[in-house]
Amino acid sequence: MLLLEFRSFLLEGLLNTLFLSSVMIAGGTLFAVIFAAGLSATSPWLRRPVYGLVECLRDIPLMVTVLMVYFVLPHAGLSLNPFWSSALSVSVWGGANGAHIIRAGLLAVPLGQREAAMSSGLRGWKALLLVIVPQAMPIILPPYVSLVTSLLQASSLGAVLGVNELLRSAQILIEQTTIARGGSPAYLVYGSILVVYFALCWTISAFGAKLERHFAKPYQRGKATVPHSETVPAVLQPST
Amino acid sequence: MNFTYILEALPDLLSGLKMTLIVSFLAILLSCLIGVLGAILRTSGIKPLQYAVTAYVEFIRGTPYLVQIFFIFYGLPSLGLRFSIFWSGVIALTAWASAFQIENFRAGLAAVGSGMHDASASLGLKRWQHSVFVVLPLAARAALPSSMNTIVATVKNSAYLQAIGLVELTFVAVDRIAYDFRAIEMFASICVIYLICVFSISGLGYMVERRLSRPFGGR
Repeated sequence: MLLLEFRSFLLEGLLNTLFLSSVMIAGGTLFAVIFAAGLSATSPWLRRPVYGLVECLRDIPLMVTVLMVYFVLPHAGLSLNPFWSSALSVSVWGGANGAHIIRAGLLAVPLGQREAAMSSGLRGWKALLLVIVPQAMPIILPPYVSLVTSLLQASSLGAVLGVNELLRSAQILIEQTTIARGGSPAYLVYGSILVVYFALCWTISAFGAKLERHFAKPYQRGKATVPHSETVPAVLQPST
Repeated sequence: MNFTYILEALPDLLSGLKMTLIVSFLAILLSCLIGVLGAILRTSGIKPLQYAVTAYVEFIRGTPYLVQIFFIFYGLPSLGLRFSIFWSGVIALTAWASAFQIENFRAGLAAVGSGMHDASASLGLKRWQHSVFVVLPLAARAALPSSMNTIVATVKNSAYLQAIGLVELTFVAVDRIAYDFRAIEMFASICVIYLICVFSISGLGYMVERRLSRPFGGR
């Protein structure tokens, strides 16, 4: 059978897909945090350009963004190979979509929580990471998990630029066998990689659902709901 | 940035835009029809049909759109289904958009409270009258915002069809870049054109939404 015969070739494509999409997910998260920070900036000189950029990225088709980064960046003196070019463009796109998810999640936490954090002596980053973010997680996670599956699916756009990921491997396999043996196995090969992509996305969703359940019950975690009388809260400890 | 070059390329770009709009229009029309049908089937209570529709939606949403396009254009001919580039594009775009429209309309149907059923019954409306005159308008109203999002996404996703060689806006731009190497001009122009399309469609959707949000005082 064709797929078994070329399994190592296809497996290599799958590994490249996994690597490429990991880069895209990491990069997308990074850009999402940066854009979200920009969108929440108090200075309009920072906020408005970021907002404009994010809106443009969301409204221009991803296919166009991917091609644009690949063709236009060399004119600016930055030549990336297809792998990093597609990784960059999809990450920026993911960041633009993720930024709104993160911002909406953070805004959904009542203002009183931030005030309460400040009154307990937590300020700035500490208040954000220890008080606000854990409460925003149940709102952020569901759309964020679906963004992660979109990023995995978007890694197939690498094939358009010629990155050797799963879809490109499938294309090469089909071209070669059509020439060498006659008769196109396209439906079989494309059908199989559709199933592979579906399994990967399903895994991500299942993992995401597990994570959501974890964050959905914030106050049942650990035993720290009632502070022990003998432990002195960190803020009340004398600073040395 | 060379503006005379853009002006020179404009007729080509506009004919590409025409193709983009035709393909998108057909796909939007068909996907809305399939969306309504699918949503009705999914809430019909007939188990095998419900499972089939759910499986379809989950599969389309869980697989890359680009691979779906290749499967339809390159894969189906060896199974005896051969379509032109244009119709392959329409089918791929419709198949993708339908999955999302089914979800949108299903949520719309779910948003119509069960109290409406009792109200219709007490007014003496028959079952079909209840469905057509009461549930459908309310569900369409509830589904409109997310449905508009999918419609905008359908227009944007028509750009993927350049991968199978459909001569639409993105294809025209990339094709010209291959000859003239004017990447900056071409991408700037198609970005502006896509932005205009997206803003006009979402603006139109917003207007319809506002009009419909004045429930019975319209006019």
